[in-house]
Amino acid sequence: MVKKDLSITFLGVKFPNPFCLSSSPVGNCYDMCKKAYEVGWGGVVFKTIGPKSYFIDEVSPRFDKLNKENTPFVGFKNMEQIAEHSLEENLRDLRRLKEEFPNQVLIASIMGNDEQTWEDLARMVTECGADMIEMNLSCPQMTSHAMGSDVGSNPELCKKYCQAVKRGSKLPMMAKMTPNITDMVPVAKACLEGGADGIAAINTIKSICNIDLDKKVGLPIVDGKSAISGYSGKAVKPVALRFIQQMRQADGLHDLEISGIGGIETWEDAAEFILVGAKTLQVTTAIMQYGYRVVEDMKNGLQHYMEEQGVDHLEDLVGLANKNIIPAENLNRDYICRPNIDLDKCIKCGRCYISCYDGGHQAIEWDEEKREPHCNTDKCVGCLLCGHVCPVHAITPGKITIKPGRKCKAEDIKL
Amino acid sequence: MESKYLKEECGFSSLTVTEEASRCLLCHDAPCSKACPAGTNPDKFIRSVRFRNYKGAAETIRLNNALGAICARVCPTEKYCQNACSRTGIDRPIDIGRIQRFVTDFEEAAKMDIWEKAPANGKSVGVVGSGPSALQAAASLAMMGYKVEVYEKEKVLGGMLRYIPEYRLPNHIVDTEIKRIEGLGVKFHTGVEVGKKVSMEDLKAKHDAVLLAPGYSYGKNLPMFEGNKNVVLAVDFLKEVKAKAGKVKVPANVLVVGGGDVAMDVVTTLKLLGVANVTDVVYEQFAEFKASKKELDGAQKLGVTIMDGYVPTACEGKKVSFKHRVINAEISVEADLIVMAVGQKPSVEGLGIELVKGEVDAGKPYVTADPKVWVCGDIAHSRFDKTVVGGVRTGKEVALYIDMALGGK
Repeated sequence: MVKKDLSITFLGVKFPNPFCLSSSPVGNCYDMCKKAYEVGWGGVVFKTIGPKSYFIDEVSPRFDKLNKENTPFVGFKNMEQIAEHSLEENLRDLRRLKEEFPNQVLIASIMGNDEQTWEDLARMVTECGADMIEMNLSCPQMTSHAMGSDVGSNPELCKKYCQAVKRGSKLPMMAKMTPNITDMVPVAKACLEGGADGIAAINTIKSICNIDLDKKVGLPIVDGKSAISGYSGKAVKPVALRFIQQMRQADGLHDLEISGIGGIETWEDAAEFILVGAKTLQVTTAIMQYGYRVVEDMKNGLQHYMEEQGVDHLEDLVGLANKNIIPAENLNRDYICRPNIDLDKCIKCGRCYISCYDGGHQAIEWDEEKREPHCNTDKCVGCLLCGHVCPVHAITPGKITIKPGRKCKAEDIKL
Repeated sequence: MESKYLKEECGFSSLTVTEEASRCLLCHDAPCSKACPAGTNPDKFIRSVRFRNYKGAAETIRLNNALGAICARVCPTEKYCQNACSRTGIDRPIDIGRIQRFVTDFEEAAKMDIWEKAPANGKSVGVVGSGPSALQAAASLAMMGYKVEVYEKEKVLGGMLRYIPEYRLPNHIVDTEIKRIEGLGVKFHTGVEVGKKVSMEDLKAKHDAVLLAPGYSYGKNLPMFEGNKNVVLAVDFLKEVKAKAGKVKVPANVLVVGGGDVAMDVVTTLKLLGVANVTDVVYEQFAEFKASKKELDGAQKLGVTIMDGYVPTACEGKKVSFKHRVINAEISVEADLIVMAVGQKPSVEGLGIELVKGEVDAGKPYVTADPKVWVCGDIAHSRFDKTVVGGVRTGKEVALYIDMALGGK
């Protein structure tokens, strides 16, 4: 039975394991967070607490999902805003959670609508015993433009609010980024200048998941209409990894401490976020679909991965992939790697032929009589699309050919 | 060409196991897990497969079931976990047995070493027999810190596991499971018949507790077939075919009497060995059939002639007459070999215990009149069938009772 220490220190706070609920419907009250702690989550980011003056009034229904073929929840659309309970109830729940679970981390997510409310909220959650503050600068479905992702795409405003929070509390603080922006780095830097100790990324992506074809309205339908709102789940993982990588590669941000968010569902997803530089991980969509129990396999699988990698401290894996993701212009363009087709494994479906013809370079040729594919190396450019569509993994990277006139050696190429 | 008898059915690949695990509804109060006699916890290991944690899945299986790879192959899952599966409300149950097989094969391929042993507690248990229940009990006790010694009367370990045909349960799987238990420090003695070579008194003097798991290892017969040289008992037949890896001579026309799982193993084995005419005459009618549906279907697909509802009335040499139990019908079958698959019985000679209807009844589970002597497996009373998985259940439970009695640490 594997037993690896998953604890990690993030922004000076020790987490028993890196897995946290993200600020969302999954951490909406005491009972939910209590259950999550008991199931084994390392931390909870309690659903964002807003100013007393801001009235939360939710729509019904409020979710939609994207399916592909037989897979539901490829992506998930959510219209909920911040915590619906009263400020008093939320503060009471925070206090109770910290008292009952002193060894698991409690993070208060807050969202003000001006400097004063940010400062006041920071002070209040600190008094309740929270270990850390997350500033929600990024919710894409707020009904006020003074709050949410409109704020998060404005570096000056972010900096000002970070300063306000720091005036209200000395707790470690991370600012949660919106992905609804071309470049996250200026916002992240502004937050750090304002006093943020780390960054949480990413919040949800503004989206329309599906359109009802009869009613000509987006889903979910609220009294005949719909609105753009945040998209999450497995489909956003690539976007999250990209933003995290870009921040960790920016000048002065190589050691930036990050809490990774976006489509984490398996231990492999978790490991990927850690390898691009996340120290802690936040999850919502997988919990909404499957429940808090998903953490069991994430924790266990991550321990097995640590064992396979010969690593005793999770920290040792953080950011290991950063240096291997480089600008496209710096990639080696001196060679072509053509596919190796294992005809013993091939079940003769012809999908590689179709994709190569219609989406590639017409290099896979189909032997009509034997019903089997062959690669015409004169035409093959080595894109390896064929390998991606093969249902039985019969096509793998094969022989390397150096382009004419290039000095590189085939044996030096790392596949 | 490899004999069909030796060829195991194809298992899942990493591709197909993902598809099958994706069909699982990941139920809240998973009925599959509640229905598993061995407590193997299928809902948890299927969820691990679903979330790409094969190693975690292997841990769940192995920590709950010392014979996980064996149960994966031979368990009548359609009576237990798969019978309870909620997916049936949509189409058909999850193929839990085959997922378990994939995971335990993965465990073996990855050379995982999952078990942990508690420090030695200075106490020892002698186990008589090495069938499924004995193996599970030995593994559980060894993990708790007991010194365990197993005494098997046969030359090979495994008890009934060595009767289950090779195409269903390859010998190497059984060998691997036993080797893993040996790795816990369990000492196995073969060719030692307790009551003859060694006495119960010797064992009781040597060990703090003695666990008897002789199993139902002897075939039953019916009086009219006794002494007939054309007649062989099913368990003896299955054992010989497996020991000789299918290299046995069988005539072209065989009659089998009986309709349980052992009978299905016999008729299927005969067909896979190339016997042209296999006739199975069964006391029960199809509606009340005892054999697992999977095994019955397999036999029928291979072309076994099955006649249900008949009782044998006379046997003369190679000719057997039967009468239907309900309707007015009679048949007589002449065959070159007659295999009797009409049940098994235990022998507890020299073990100092008495059986009532094949079980020990001393008031409480697994105990005997002698406080130092315990029982598990077929001769212990259990609410589950006398199958491999039922045996695993009794082995797990008796280990806990013995531990409680011996004061644990």
